[in-house]
Amino acid sequence: MKVEISRRRFLQGSVAMSIAGGVSLSSSSIMASAATPAKKIGNEDKKVATLCEMCVNKCAAIAHVRNGVVEKLDPNPLFPKSRNMLCARGNSGIQALYDPDRLKYPLIRDGEKGSGKFKRVSWDEAYAYINEKLTKILEEEKDNRSTVAFCAGEGIAEHTFKSFFTMFGSSHFLNHASLCLATTVSGYSLTIGGYGQADLDNAKYVIMAGANRAEAIVTPDTMDFFKRTNGRGAKLITVDPRFTNTAAKSDKWLAINVGTDLAFVLALTYVAIKEERYNKAFVENYFNGFDAYKEHILSNNYTPEWAEKITGIKAADIYQVSRDFMANAPQAIYYQGRRTTWSKNDFQLRRAQAIFSALGGGVDVKGGICFGKTLPLIEHDAVAPMYAQAKPRIEKDEAAVVGGSGSWVAFRNMVLEGRSPYPVRALFNYKHNPMQNMPNNKKTEEFLKKLDLVVTIDTMPSDTVMLSDVILPECTYLERTDPVVSYGGIEPSIAQRNKVIDPMFESKPVMDIMRGLSAKLSKPLFEITKKYDEDVQSAIEDDGEDKVYADFDLTKPFAHDQAELNAHAVEKYEGAADILKEKGVFYPNMNEYFKKVGVNDYEYYPETKRAYSVRNNKFATPSGKIECSVPALAKKGIDAMPVWKSEYEMAIPAGKFRFITGRHAQFTQSGTSNNRMLLNLVPQNYAWINKRVAEKLGIKFGDKLEVSSKVGKTTIKAYPTEKIGPDTLFFVHGFGVYSKALTLGYNNGGNDAAIIEDGIEPMHGSTCLHDTIVEIRKV
Amino acid sequence: MARYGMALNYKNCINCRACESACKEENGVLLLKDHYRIWVGVKEAEGQFPNISIASQTYHPSQCQHCENAPCQQVCPTNATYYSKDGMVMVDPTKCILCTYCINACPYDARYVDNRTNTVDKCTFCSDTRLANGETTTACQATCPTKVRVFGDLDDPNSEISVLLANKEYRQVKEHLGTKPKLFYIL
Repeated sequence: MKVEISRRRFLQGSVAMSIAGGVSLSSSSIMASAATPAKKIGNEDKKVATLCEMCVNKCAAIAHVRNGVVEKLDPNPLFPKSRNMLCARGNSGIQALYDPDRLKYPLIRDGEKGSGKFKRVSWDEAYAYINEKLTKILEEEKDNRSTVAFCAGEGIAEHTFKSFFTMFGSSHFLNHASLCLATTVSGYSLTIGGYGQADLDNAKYVIMAGANRAEAIVTPDTMDFFKRTNGRGAKLITVDPRFTNTAAKSDKWLAINVGTDLAFVLALTYVAIKEERYNKAFVENYFNGFDAYKEHILSNNYTPEWAEKITGIKAADIYQVSRDFMANAPQAIYYQGRRTTWSKNDFQLRRAQAIFSALGGGVDVKGGICFGKTLPLIEHDAVAPMYAQAKPRIEKDEAAVVGGSGSWVAFRNMVLEGRSPYPVRALFNYKHNPMQNMPNNKKTEEFLKKLDLVVTIDTMPSDTVMLSDVILPECTYLERTDPVVSYGGIEPSIAQRNKVIDPMFESKPVMDIMRGLSAKLSKPLFEITKKYDEDVQSAIEDDGEDKVYADFDLTKPFAHDQAELNAHAVEKYEGAADILKEKGVFYPNMNEYFKKVGVNDYEYYPETKRAYSVRNNKFATPSGKIECSVPALAKKGIDAMPVWKSEYEMAIPAGKFRFITGRHAQFTQSGTSNNRMLLNLVPQNYAWINKRVAEKLGIKFGDKLEVSSKVGKTTIKAYPTEKIGPDTLFFVHGFGVYSKALTLGYNNGGNDAAIIEDGIEPMHGSTCLHDTIVEIRKV
Repeated sequence: MARYGMALNYKNCINCRACESACKEENGVLLLKDHYRIWVGVKEAEGQFPNISIASQTYHPSQCQHCENAPCQQVCPTNATYYSKDGMVMVDPTKCILCTYCINACPYDARYVDNRTNTVDKCTFCSDTRLANGETTTACQATCPTKVRVFGDLDDPNSEISVLLANKEYRQVKEHLGTKPKLFYIL
């Protein structure tokens, strides 16, 4: 019988929490055995407007604080982007704040890497240790700053961390883009001039392919759309290899073969062009290279009958969807999608989607894909110094276009396999979990072990944290004020995360961490630059050392208090700084525009003031039109127009499965694997396997399966269901944690990073998360 | 004096379970498997891949129906279950002896045993945690992403819930039992 303690009781005093299945770390002080005694502050009862950080959407929240304890998070109705809601994760932010497994003090590794042994140190000791290691590395590498890499998870304070990276002068910044949305953002941007915002509040016909908006919540798309489905104004066609919650809300579900979406879109395009159902006026005026595209589609015979063989979707359905789409255009959207790391053809797929969408004219128009407006802020970025010895990105030639956020997999593999032109020796990591977010985690583990110095800033002892040399505890989002953010769109606004309570334990906001670290590193690192950088040497001769150092002073971006910086950023808008502190949200004329129109309904902007159409028929592409062809890509070996290739078809050997991963609405990637509330809702993940196949194999619900691929294996319980096809296997991401310091997440469910192969696509070096064949075995 | 009820645009529900977490946080419900005041009932899809009947998979957000003719109140031997002045069905934990008659009598499976107090607990429309503090709605309604719920006073003809019920078709669960439930599912 385990003792469970309610939140209320545990907050009333310090009660020892015992959590079943917990393994405390012997030698380290990562784990405190007692819960947090809350700081009592008289009879205080206040509400603070803040922004959620349980996922990327940043919904506006109001935190209710009593006696220094955050007791409840409620939605803040003022924010147009989050439309007065908090999802299950948003409500569970309190559990992230009061998670007993939180990182509490700076730690330095005290044993083999991966042993999980750490010793508690002071912040100064941690900074000194980093300084010692880093100066040694840069000295040996003759001030090649690119020998130190930086990676960050998505978040408002990522900006702060990035300032440090910019001042430091390395070429290597890595974030989630190549594991997530790089291909769709660039696919839509190069084609229609921006990724845009699908106006799901007004669209009449939407195709969601592999986008699971009922479970992978995106604001305001999810909230706007599902009030209008099921015959209430919007038709939804879901294209997905499995029957998701989104499919359950749709008018039609097309069970597509994994990785064949491009053939489906090309066939839709074929029908629209062949039957001349596209928006002729729009195409004539605003398309560049349509005739060549038309010729390309027709001459390749991308017919629905051809696509049926590849996709498994009946030709009749393809005809129907294409005709219905064009009949509803321009209020018709082929939804862009978000995590589009599926297969080798991801980039071409997004281009084809964008062109098909545009054929209906549904771009920069109400009910189509809109670009909206932004409310500009005053930027205060420090000027980046130039380091003569800093070498270019090691993985720059691993794909056609490797952008500023890199190709994570290519980068990791080059370092690991010794294929980099110079050694990469250190990694600074801010709230990012490569061990879980990148496929083939065996390689990630070896990569982290190979580095001389891994410094991780995080709130929780994730798998990546456990393989770090130095751990710097960040406070959670409820304990800090972050850089103010401006959210563009149809209804633009500015929002600010305000500190709700003071940081607990010895945790600090990343701003303070960067301030302390840069103060320690700045001078010693400059000494190394002086030694190896001839440009700096001659500049010192000309202008004196003080003047030159001023350019290289790492502490510059962190000189000011965050609240001060925020006030400065919104100076253009009268009274905004105070309103943001008090209400968390600001936009011009808010007082006049914002109206409560029902118990659940708010109006943010009057209809005439919404930014549905802003481009004046000039798109942000080289020609100012919709680009059917991108010839510049051909030089880099990327097809100028989307082409289907036979290599995109993957045979699935008998008895094996093609693996797909995805999301549900209760977890955010791997960041919520230890959240008590969310685990209460969803205790573990299950492998979806077709019911009839499972029956043949004698697999019943809850049976343990070992799922294995070329690169690794994981164990997970089975969920036989007809919601998935006979040759596909699925389970949700974010479970099966290796870190014993996450007492609830440890060894709970299956880990997809262990089995997915690490192929990349040719355009941006993004991962292909759905190109793995797996086999299963009952254990 | 009010007569509180709730209308549910259940077709909006995406089974994200925000309501469940908000309710637990608001009302301090234990984070245990069988402890919940509200839930989303899921009817699993029927059919064989790829011919799944889309309409067969539905989500029904549910909780205590605050019946006007509540079987739980009728069977309670200690009068622990009672009607509040605002027409809500409530449990007085100081009177509850955990005989569980009410749990068996409730046709909606809306009651559970709270391990802390060893008494029966259920949805209260947040009357002590929110309404008593001047809030006008429940935690589940406030937080819902797709705004499934409309909470309000059925005795006020101008309240949003009254207007909604006057203009929309709806159904109640197990109406034939004569319990007069006050949760209305908008069709």
